[in-house]
Amino acid sequence: MLNMKNIRKVFRTDLVETCALDDFSLTVDQGEFVTITGPSGCGKTTFLNIAGLLETHTSGLYLLDDVDVSQLGDYARAKLRNQKIGFIFQSFNLMPDLNLFDNIDVPLRYRGMKSAERKERIDKALDSVGLFARRKHVPAQLSGGQQQRVAIARALVGDPLFLLADEPTGNLDSNTAKGVMALLEEINDSGTTIIMVTHDQSLAQQSKRNIHILDGRISNASNETANKEATAA
Amino acid sequence: MEIGPILRALTRNKLGVILISLQIAFTMTVMVNAVFIINERSKLMARPSGLDEPNMFYLRSTGFGDQFNSEITEQDDLELLRNVPGIVDATAINSIPISGGGSSDGLRLEDDPTLPSIPAAVYFTDERALNTMRLNLIAGENFSGSDVLHQRSSEGRNYPMAVVSLALAEALFPEEGQTAVGKIFYNDSNPVQIIGIVERLQAPWTNSFFVEQAMLVPLNFISSTSTYLIRTEPGQRDRLMVETEELLAGNNSNRIIRDLKSMDETREESYRLDSSMATILFVVILTLVFITSMGIVGLAVFGINRRRKQIGTRRALGATHAEILRYFMLENFFISGVGVTIGAVLTIAFSIALSSLFEMPTMGWYYTPAGMLILIGIGQLAVLGPSTKASRIEPAIATRSI
Ligand SMILES: Nc1ncnc2c1ncn2[C@@H]1O[C@H](COP(=O)(O)OP(=O)(O)OP(=O)(O)O)[C@@H](O)[C@H]1O
Ligand SMILES: [Mg+2]
Repeated sequence: MLNMKNIRKVFRTDLVETCALDDFSLTVDQGEFVTITGPSGCGKTTFLNIAGLLETHTSGLYLLDDVDVSQLGDYARAKLRNQKIGFIFQSFNLMPDLNLFDNIDVPLRYRGMKSAERKERIDKALDSVGLFARRKHVPAQLSGGQQQRVAIARALVGDPLFLLADEPTGNLDSNTAKGVMALLEEINDSGTTIIMVTHDQSLAQQSKRNIHILDGRISNASNETANKEATAA
Repeated sequence: MEIGPILRALTRNKLGVILISLQIAFTMTVMVNAVFIINERSKLMARPSGLDEPNMFYLRSTGFGDQFNSEITEQDDLELLRNVPGIVDATAINSIPISGGGSSDGLRLEDDPTLPSIPAAVYFTDERALNTMRLNLIAGENFSGSDVLHQRSSEGRNYPMAVVSLALAEALFPEEGQTAVGKIFYNDSNPVQIIGIVERLQAPWTNSFFVEQAMLVPLNFISSTSTYLIRTEPGQRDRLMVETEELLAGNNSNRIIRDLKSMDETREESYRLDSSMATILFVVILTLVFITSMGIVGLAVFGINRRRKQIGTRRALGATHAEILRYFMLENFFISGVGVTIGAVLTIAFSIALSSLFEMPTMGWYYTPAGMLILIGIGQLAVLGPSTKASRIEPAIATRSI
């Protein structure tokens, strides 16, 4: 489903070249819950951005759903993001001027979906994160944990191939974080693939599969599935 | 299309929207009314006087001393002028059309001072005025040389006949108009017969409400000052202005020649206020439109910078370049829409106030919608640059910036 081979990402500025990812290979299958860990600056977000088609990679092969995305133009990448990927951000990234309903509506409108179907999906998504009653509220009227639930609902509403989460609990206190994690696990249990970056070692240890990155390379893939892959490679 | 969410998001940022739409509304009000005033002025300036202005000029001769005989001098001068090669014709006249100074009479259909009178500019002149001015005689005939009375102004200003402008004929005899030849009107208690009608002849006063009501009458005032109106062959005017002045000055040493001026200069001077007003209004419009455009650009740039992360997030969620561009174009469209709607109300109110205060004609219905469209167009143009920039914001902003 997600298949990266020897991905390399170099950031060029006027003065320096930073190699954020190097010889990075990873396969993620349907239904997995993968956590990504590593020290700050090791390339976690870079990986997520490439996986989510927010950035292009410098070299290597990336097959998304068996499609080589390296050659796609901006328009096609936007459409793929819209249809196949759900994003969850550390700081939620909700539109402060829109109520919850309109927030969750954003990706569906870019898909050009009919209003009746959008409403049905949004109501369902709001319901699944327990915030249907607050659909007319704006994000500022919600707690951090609730805002992240809205963001999760927005990520899920389009039935994506997988969710990409960059430290989704990074801005939350530990109790709220647990609630959000429980929600993500529930979502994973019902079949949605999740790839999540986290600083929290305990969360990483709990997950079925953990990828540890050091200086842009996978340093040790831990847990059963990853070990399998490491021996295969 | 995401009209609903854009509108709902806008209502959460009311202040900026209200301020900029009020600015748009005021700009539209001033712009539309100023354009209307400019157009009205240009229409006034474009009215033909009836004269062959480009080929005409005039000058004055003022005699002094005991030896000066104004009657003989005038006869001599006209004789001389009419024989100058290049001069088509010349006439002695008391005042010059559109020049600002002249004479008028109140005319009535009956010899009854209690009746309301119709005002008309009177040109005291001779039988050559018609040809000199190159007026278009559309009915009746001109008076002849023998009809012309020569008298001092102290002897009164009675004239038995007149060649009137069509507008004056229509004002006097609305039923007859062009067929009013032969009709009689009264100047005080003196009957005057209309013997001819010219298509057009303007009064000396360009701002007068009866600027189109004028007439030529066969009366020549004997005075030490004579005004000669002269028409030349096309292209000869400037040369002849110089030569004529010298010729007359040399012909008689007991007078001075002054006020040499072409009709073009006269028109320019008479309408100077109108044309400078039009220029000032035009500058005001440009300035206002510029300031408002800058306001729109400013608000757009500010709004886009404030929402960089939102834009990145929208891109991450699947918005294409075009969809981001369209978002901000639409947003501006709605802000301008509010502005021009308020503007339409203000524009019409302002124009009604103007026309009732200054007796201006009422504005055509099409001014307001045209102003609305133009300001929306200006808004869209102003916001095109910022919106294009917004559409280029990288989706990675969504994860990279805090
Ligand atoms: N746009 C960019 N231009 C230049 N260098 C960049 C850019 N984005 C990231 N980098 C560099 O790439 C490297 C990897 O960055 P990345 O954001 O992926 O790290 P990270 O693992 O997510 O760190 P953190 O845990 O702090 O979020 C860093 O050295 C970073 O400075
Ligand atoms: Mg990061």
